[in-house]
Amino acid sequence: MSELLVKNAFVIDPLNNINGEIMDIAVKDGKIVESVKDTSNTIDAKGNLTLPGGVDSHTHICGTKVNFGRYMSPEDMRAGRGRAQKYMYPVSGYSVPTVYANTYRYSSLGYTTVLEGAMAPLEARHTHEEFSYNTLQDTMANTLFDGNWAVMEAVAENDLKKVAAIVGWTLAAVKGFAVKITNPGGTEMWGWGKDVGCMHTKVDHFGVTAAEITDYLIRANELLNLPHSAHLHNNNLGKPGNYKCTLERMQRTPDLNDKRQTLYMTHVQFHSYGGSKWADFCSKADDVAWMINRKPQIAIDMGQVMFGKTTTMTADGPMEFNLYRLYNNKWSNHDVELETGSGIIPVLYSKKNLVNSIMWSIGLELALMTKNPWQCMLATDNPNGAPFVKYPEVIALLMSSKYRDEEFSTLQKDTEKRVILPSLDREMDWNEIAIMTRAAQAKALGIVDLGKGHLGVGADADIAIYPVKTGDIDPTQEYEKVIEGLSVTTHTIKRGRTVSKDGNCLVFGDNATIWVKPKISENYDISKDPEFIKRFERYYTVNMANYPVEEEYINRNICIETETEL
Amino acid sequence: MKTVRLKRKDIKNPYLPVEAEKITTETFLNNDISEIRIWSGNQEKILEDLFTVDTEGEADTAEDVHIILSGDCSKVKRVGEYMTAGRITVEGDIGMHCGNFMSGGLIEIKGNADSWLGREMRGGEIICRGNAALYCGSGYRGEKKGMRGGLIHIEGDAGDFLGETLWGGKIIVDGNAGNMPGAEMQGGEIIIGKDAEIPGANMKDGVCIICGTAFDILPTFMLEDGKKNIDDFKTGFFEFSGDHANRKPKGRIYAKDYRIHQ
Repeated sequence: MSELLVKNAFVIDPLNNINGEIMDIAVKDGKIVESVKDTSNTIDAKGNLTLPGGVDSHTHICGTKVNFGRYMSPEDMRAGRGRAQKYMYPVSGYSVPTVYANTYRYSSLGYTTVLEGAMAPLEARHTHEEFSYNTLQDTMANTLFDGNWAVMEAVAENDLKKVAAIVGWTLAAVKGFAVKITNPGGTEMWGWGKDVGCMHTKVDHFGVTAAEITDYLIRANELLNLPHSAHLHNNNLGKPGNYKCTLERMQRTPDLNDKRQTLYMTHVQFHSYGGSKWADFCSKADDVAWMINRKPQIAIDMGQVMFGKTTTMTADGPMEFNLYRLYNNKWSNHDVELETGSGIIPVLYSKKNLVNSIMWSIGLELALMTKNPWQCMLATDNPNGAPFVKYPEVIALLMSSKYRDEEFSTLQKDTEKRVILPSLDREMDWNEIAIMTRAAQAKALGIVDLGKGHLGVGADADIAIYPVKTGDIDPTQEYEKVIEGLSVTTHTIKRGRTVSKDGNCLVFGDNATIWVKPKISENYDISKDPEFIKRFERYYTVNMANYPVEEEYINRNICIETETEL
Repeated sequence: MKTVRLKRKDIKNPYLPVEAEKITTETFLNNDISEIRIWSGNQEKILEDLFTVDTEGEADTAEDVHIILSGDCSKVKRVGEYMTAGRITVEGDIGMHCGNFMSGGLIEIKGNADSWLGREMRGGEIICRGNAALYCGSGYRGEKKGMRGGLIHIEGDAGDFLGETLWGGKIIVDGNAGNMPGAEMQGGEIIIGKDAEIPGANMKDGVCIICGTAFDILPTFMLEDGKKNIDDFKTGFFEFSGDHANRKPKGRIYAKDYRIHQ
C-alpha cells in the first residue's frame, strides 16, 4: 500500500482539459486517486511544470536491427559513457546506445511509455528480451506485416477476413501491439533486388500492389478492433517527389474509427519531398499539411531531423541501399524469411548540406502547419532523424520563431529558396507541446483507457516534473531555458514510484509490455488452416510450434483482449 | 628545460595494467605532482605509488618538458595521450595506446611498442627502435579516420593491420609488416622496408610502398604497365592501382616484388 502526494504541481493535462492549474496529485498503489490519507510521502513540485509521463509513439530502441546497429558502429560507443551508480548500470553509446542508456535517458526526459517502431515477427523474442531490460518505460512493439507472404496471398484472393485472421494470430503469437507496414511490398521486392516505387506497382510473384496491401491491412486492423490504427511507413521514403505518393495514400484512407485516427503515418518528414531529383529537391510540407488538415482520419509524426551524427535503421531495405550509395559508408542488410527485411547505415546530417538543411526545415513546417496538434506527434523517428535526447531542442524550435530564425541563418544558403519555414510565425504553447509529446500519442496508440497520457483519477501514476516555471520564462525568447528545463526532470514518477530524480535513477525499475490478443473464433483460427501450416513447414526455418513467444519472455505484461468480428 | 625521470617501481604482479594517460608533457608543467592520479588495475593510485619521480629544471611551456620513462613499462598504457609538444623517451618497452591522439612533440621508444601505437595521431613524431605490435597508426574499432598526420618510424617489424584506416601522415617500417597493412586507407603514406602481406585492402587513396615482397596482392588491384622509380634509391617497382572494389579508387601500391594468392 504505497501512497504518494505531489503538492503544488503546475499541471497541464490536455486529455482532461487542464491547462496550467496548481493542484495536488494523489497516488495510491500506482494509480491516481482523489485523495490520500497518508501524507508522509510527499513531493513538493514547487509550482514547476508537471505533465503526464511522456509517450513516444515511434522509436527504435530494442530489437535485432537496433542491436545490429550496435554491432556495426563500435565507434558510437565512444560517446555517451556513464559510470555505474547504485541503481544504474554503466552505459555507453549515443545514437545506438545500450538498452540501459536508452531507458535512463528516456526516463530523465520524463518519458514513461515507448513504442518500438518495427519488430519482425520472427525476431520478436529478441525484442522482448531487450524490453525486459528497458526497465523504466512500459513498452509496446509494432509488428511488421509489409512483406508477409500469407497476408499478400490473402490480399490477392481478396479475402479481408483471412488477412485479419493472419494478423490477429500473428500479433497474439509474437506479443505485438500494432500493425506496422514498412514500405509495403518493397521489402519483398528487395529480395529480388528491386523496389516497388510508388503504390501501384505489382509485387512480383504475388500480383498485389502496395496500395492494396495497405488498404486491406487498414480494414483488417479495424475488424480486429485493435487499440492502435495501422502504422504506416509509406513507399518511396526519402526520394525527391515522393509527396505525391504520400498525398495519394492519405486520399485513399477511409475514416473507419471515431475514437482515433484510421491510419498513423510515421516520419512524414521523409515523405514530403518535392522535385524530381536531388538537384531540384524542395519541401512540399505545405501540400502534405494541407491534406492532413482535411483528413481527421490521419495522424502523423514529424520524423524531425536534427543535425549531427546518427544511425538510420529501418525495415525498408531498398531505401537504406539508396542511402548507402549516397554516403558510401558502412551498410548492413538483412532479410527476414517470409516477412520483411531491414537495412542500417550510419549517417551525418550536416548544416552545410542543402538536402539535410531542407529536411530539417520540412519536419518543422509539418508540425507548424498541421493545425490540430492532436494529429501531429513530436518524434524524430529515433535514431533515424536524431537520437531522442534532442527532443527538448525540437520543442524549443517549435516554441520559438526566434530560435528557428537563428538556426536557419546558419544553414546552407540556398535552403530559403526551397522551403517556406522562414515565413511561418506560429509559436506553440505549453499545452500544444504537452499534446504533441504525450496526450496525442497516447490517444493515437489507443492506450488512454489503460491510463496512459493523462492524470485523471484512475490513470497510471506516470508523472514528469520539469524544473520549469512556465510563468517566469518566455519560451519564444528564452529558448535555452526551455531546452535546459525539459532535458532533465526533477522527478519522473512511474506507477507511483519516483524512478528518476535530476537525471539519476533511483530504482532498477520494473516495466510492463503491452500486447494485444484479438479474440478470434475457431473458424478463423489461421493456425489450424492446412494451407497456412503447409507454408510454414515448407518455407520457414522454424517450426510453427516454436514460433510464438512464450509468456516467460514478458514478465509483467498487460494484455489487451479485443472483441473482433471474426 | 625540465627533465622528469620516471622509474617504474617493481610490483608483485607485473601483468597489472596501468592507465597512464596523465603521463604527458602538459601534466608536468605543474610542480605539484601529488595530485596526479593513475589507475592501476581496479585501484586509483597517485603517481608516486607506481613510479619514482625525479625532476630537474623548470619549464613554462610543454615544449620544454622531457619525460624519461624507465623500468618495466610494458603494461603502462596511454602514455603521451593528447600530447601537443615536448618530448618523451622510453628506455625500454611501452604498453598499448602510446601516443593516442598526439598532435605534436616527439616520443622515442628504445624497446618494443605494444598495440595501437600512435592511434589516431594528428601530428608530431614517434620513433620506435624496436618492434611495434598490432594496429600501429590505425583508428580504433569502427572509426573511419585513423592517423591523420605526423610521422611514425619503426626500426624493427610492425604487426598486423599497420595503418588501418590511415587518413594522412606517414608511417615508415624498416623491417617487415604483418597482415593487411594499410587496410581501408584513404590517404597518407606507408613505407615498408621488407615484406608485407595483403597490402591496401579496400584502400581508396594513399600510397603503400613495399620494398620487399608483397604477398597475396588482392585480385581487386590492377597491375599498371612498366616499372616505376619512386626516388633514386627505390627503383624498378611494380605499380598497382586500387582497390577497385571502390568506385574510382586513387590508391597506389608499389612493390619491389609480388605474389598473387594461389
